[in-house]
Amino acid sequence: MLIDAKQAFTQLSEDTLITRVKSGDQNAYAALYELHVKRVYGLCLRLLADREHAEDATQEVFVQLWHKIASFEGQSQFSTWLHSVTSNIAISYLRKHKNWLQKVVSFEQSGMDEQSAADCQGLNGLDKLVLRLPERARMVFVLHAIEGYRHEEIASMLGMAVGSSKSQFHRARQLLKEWYENE
Amino acid sequence: MNKPDFETFLAESINNTDSEITPQKDLWPGIEKALTHAPVSQSKTILWPKLAGVAACSVAALLSVQLIFSGAEPATSVAMSDYFTQQKQTLLVQYQNQPALTDNWQQQLAELEDAERAIKQALENEPENPALLKMLAQVYQQQLDLINKVHAPKWQQI
Repeated sequence: MLIDAKQAFTQLSEDTLITRVKSGDQNAYAALYELHVKRVYGLCLRLLADREHAEDATQEVFVQLWHKIASFEGQSQFSTWLHSVTSNIAISYLRKHKNWLQKVVSFEQSGMDEQSAADCQGLNGLDKLVLRLPERARMVFVLHAIEGYRHEEIASMLGMAVGSSKSQFHRARQLLKEWYENE
Repeated sequence: MNKPDFETFLAESINNTDSEITPQKDLWPGIEKALTHAPVSQSKTILWPKLAGVAACSVAALLSVQLIFSGAEPATSVAMSDYFTQQKQTLLVQYQNQPALTDNWQQQLAELEDAERAIKQALENEPENPALLKMLAQVYQQQLDLINKVHAPKWQQI
């Protein structure tokens, strides 16, 4: 029955779904989730470089989105707005889930190990290298090179200087080049 | 066939990157559950005893670090690991038949062991970094304090 309802809702336009979700319709929300979950998860996985964390963060995005969607006024495309919400939640997720040691000494988490990255399904060659980057370099690279954010925006999102964002991007490129050429 | 140079690879890969990746498990049931059930905010009440425990242990750890690093011989991570591993095993054997005062001490111990692994990983690049060595000593000491704290009756009064 639920599946039928979801199928019926997927025929509706995104605008109609959003209107229904704003009025508290969970079936419409399930359909909206189906439309966007892969893109949200893709961004979370690239930013967090951990499958389980990406799954958790994706769930957090959709739980928070349910409460935030009333504030979406349609001034930008919904996908653009959701993208921004997702980036911010993934960054905040990473901060919240650092262990006490990483918080105290600003330890930078290393990326995914080579084998785990290679085992990730649905990723191209560059993605598999990106997941191995250290945390800050990876986030800057994903946000700038793949998602198209400007360094000024990234600096604001990640709480770093614009110059740091640029140097992390350079560091990411150097590492990617080294790994690619040694493959 | 020669592989393309890095710049070509990068440009082509970015252009062809599929922004969509399918999660390996169905995430909707968890979301639906979270939407239909009011969140039970217990995490803060659980966190405070843990933070208090970590703070108390830190005092003991700092004292032990002073002892370790005041010696004439530089303490290497290997020597430190050997010493604390032995101490930890002794305590675990000593308390193995004694009930613990808390249920989640093993989880707390696992978190400290995670921190230990993270520091050891960093030490692989900088084996003589004094700040890292101090942190390793602190984490080891906190593990010992935790094991003592949850098993020794005198801590029940605190």
